[in-house]
Amino acid sequence: MKIADRSIGAALVVTGIAIAAAATTYRVGFMTDPVGPRALPYLTALMMGCAGALIFARPEASSSDLDRAAARRTGGAVLTFAGYALVLPLLGFFLSTALVILGLARLFGGPWRPSIASALSTAGALWLLFVALLQLPLPVGSLWMR
Amino acid sequence: MDALSHLISGFGIALQPLNLGLAVFGVATGTFVGMLPGIGPINAIAILIPITFASGMPPESALILLVGIYYGSQYGNSISTILLNVPGTASAVVTAIDGHAMTKDGRAGQALAVSAVASFVGGTLSIFALVLLAPVLSNWAIRFGPAEYFALMVFAFSALSSFSGGSVVRALASTGFGLWLATIGLDPNSAIPRYTFGSIQLLDGMDFVVVTIGLFAVSEVFVLLSDTRMGEAAADVTGKAAIAWKELLATTWTMLRSAALGFGVGVLPGAGGTIASFLAYSTEERLAGESGDFGNGDIRGVAAPEAANNAAANGALIPLLTLGVPGSGTTAVLLGALLGLGITPGPLLLTEEPDLFWGLAASMYVGNAFLLLLNLPLVGVFVRALTLPRWVLIPGVSALAFVAVYAVNASSFDLLLMTGFGVVGFGMRRFGFPLAPVVLGLVLGPLMEKNLRRAMALSGGEVGVLFDSPIAVTLWILAFVSFIAPIGFRWARFRSTRG
Repeated sequence: MKIADRSIGAALVVTGIAIAAAATTYRVGFMTDPVGPRALPYLTALMMGCAGALIFARPEASSSDLDRAAARRTGGAVLTFAGYALVLPLLGFFLSTALVILGLARLFGGPWRPSIASALSTAGALWLLFVALLQLPLPVGSLWMR
Repeated sequence: MDALSHLISGFGIALQPLNLGLAVFGVATGTFVGMLPGIGPINAIAILIPITFASGMPPESALILLVGIYYGSQYGNSISTILLNVPGTASAVVTAIDGHAMTKDGRAGQALAVSAVASFVGGTLSIFALVLLAPVLSNWAIRFGPAEYFALMVFAFSALSSFSGGSVVRALASTGFGLWLATIGLDPNSAIPRYTFGSIQLLDGMDFVVVTIGLFAVSEVFVLLSDTRMGEAAADVTGKAAIAWKELLATTWTMLRSAALGFGVGVLPGAGGTIASFLAYSTEERLAGESGDFGNGDIRGVAAPEAANNAAANGALIPLLTLGVPGSGTTAVLLGALLGLGITPGPLLLTEEPDLFWGLAASMYVGNAFLLLLNLPLVGVFVRALTLPRWVLIPGVSALAFVAVYAVNASSFDLLLMTGFGVVGFGMRRFGFPLAPVVLGLVLGPLMEKNLRRAMALSGGEVGVLFDSPIAVTLWILAFVSFIAPIGFRWARFRSTRG
C-alpha cells in the first residue's frame, strides 16, 4: 500500500504552495529590512514542497492499518480530550478532570468501579498540587456560579 | 580563579532550602514520569515545564527544578528500560540489551544500582568539563555575527535530520513544518499577522508548550491506545537497588572511558546520546574481548551506555548554553523552557548573567547528587508504581499535562490546539515523520529569521554576506556534509552488498 505516501506527498506539495501563496501578500516597504516577512515562509514552503514531491515520487509502503477496535479507542481519546477543553470552564476543574480521567481509564480497559475511584483520587491529588500547593487559579465552573 | 568563585556563589544559590527542596521534587517527579512506559524524558520535561512557568518562581529556582526534572526523567527512563525492556528513547536501547538480560537473570537490583552510579559519574564528570569549556567557547562565540548564527542553525537542522537515523526527506518535511509553525503570529519586525486565519489567539504565535505536549505526550496516548495488543508489560520487580562494592569498582574504567567519549560526542549537534551510548557500548565490548559476557547481562554493558548517555546529555548543553542553539529534541525543549522563563542562552549569558549560569552549573551538581541519593534507597518505591495498571497511570499523567497546559494561559483554546497537535503527532509517527525537528524548528525559527534579516540588513540585501567569514563557510560545509552523509552511507552499503 503506497497510496498513503502518495496522498501525504501530494498534501505536502499543496500545503507548500498554499503557504507560499499566502506569503506573497505579506508586503512591507522598509529599506532596512531587505528580507522582509516573506523569506522564512518561502523557505518553509520550499522545504515542505520538495519533501512532498520526493515522497510522492518515491512512496514507501506504509504500516498496517488500524483495526476497528484500535481506531475506536483512539477516536474516543481524541473526543475525550477535545471534550475536556469544552467542559472545563463549565463544570470546573475537579469534575471535568475526574471525568476525563474516567474516560481515559475506561479506554485503557479499566473496570468501572476502580476507574471511578482512580479518577476521583487522581483529580483530588491534582487539585491539591495545583490549587493548594502552587496556588494557581483553576476554573470553578460557571455552571455552579449562577 | 574567577570561575571557581562564581561556582561557589552558584552553590550558595543552589543550596538554599527552597531550591534544595525543588531539586528533590524535580528529581523525584522527573524519575516518576520518565519511568512510565512509553513516556520518556522529552515527554516528562514537556509535561512538567508548565508547572515551572505557572508557579511564578524566580528564574534560578525554576532552572533548578528543570534540571532536576531533566536528570530525573533520564534515570526514570533507565528504570523502565532495565525492568520492562521498554526504552523511551533511542539512546536507552543499548542499555536495554544487558540491563534487561540482568533483570531476567534476577539481577535487576545490581543493574539499577550500576545505572544510577554510572549516570552520576558520567553526569558529574561532564558538568566539570562543561564548566571548563563553556567560558572558552563563549569567548569564541562572541565573535559570531548574524551570518554565522544563521549558518550554525542550518547546521543544527541538518545534523539533527541526518543523524536521527530515519528518512532525511521526512525529516526535511518535519523541519519545514516546525519552521512554518514558528512564523505563525505577528511578525516582530513589521507587525504583519502571518497565518493567523483571523484568530486573535494565534496573534501571539504558537505556544511552545502547547505544541510540544500535543506532539509528544498527547500523541503518545493515542499511540498507546492504537496498539492492537494493548498488553500490560509485566513488571519484574526487585525491591531495591543494591550492588557489592567489588562489582562496582570493576566498572570504574568503563565508566570513566564512556563518560569522556559520551561528552565528546554529545557536544556535536544531532543525536548525540544515541551515538554516544552505541559507541561506548561497542568500545567496551571490544576492550573486554573474551572476558566479556556482553549481550547476556554483563554489568559493563549497563555502565558504559549509562555513563556515556548522561555525559552526552550534559555535552549537549554546551552548544545550547554558549551559542543558544540546541542540537537535539530534548535540548530544544529545554531552550523553549529557558526562553519562557526570560532567559536567553548564548555567549552573553556568561558575561551578562553569570549568577544564572553558575547557579545552573551548581544546581546540575546538586541535581546529580540527589539523583544518586534518592534513587539508591528509593528505587523500590518508584518501581512499585510500575506495577500499577496502565489505566491508572496514563490517564493520571495525561490529566497532569492538561491541567498544566491550561494553567499557563488559562485558555481552553490551548487545550483544543494541543489535542489537534496530538492528532498531527499521531499521524506523523504512524507515517515515519520525526517529531524532534518540529520542536527544533519552532524554537529556532524566530532566531533564524531574526539573524537572516539582520545579516541582510547590514549588507544591504547582499546575499554573499552569508558566506563571507571563514567560520560561516566552515559551518555551511559542515551542514552540507552532514546532510549528504546518510545518502553517502546508503550508497556505500549498497555498493558493498552488491560488490
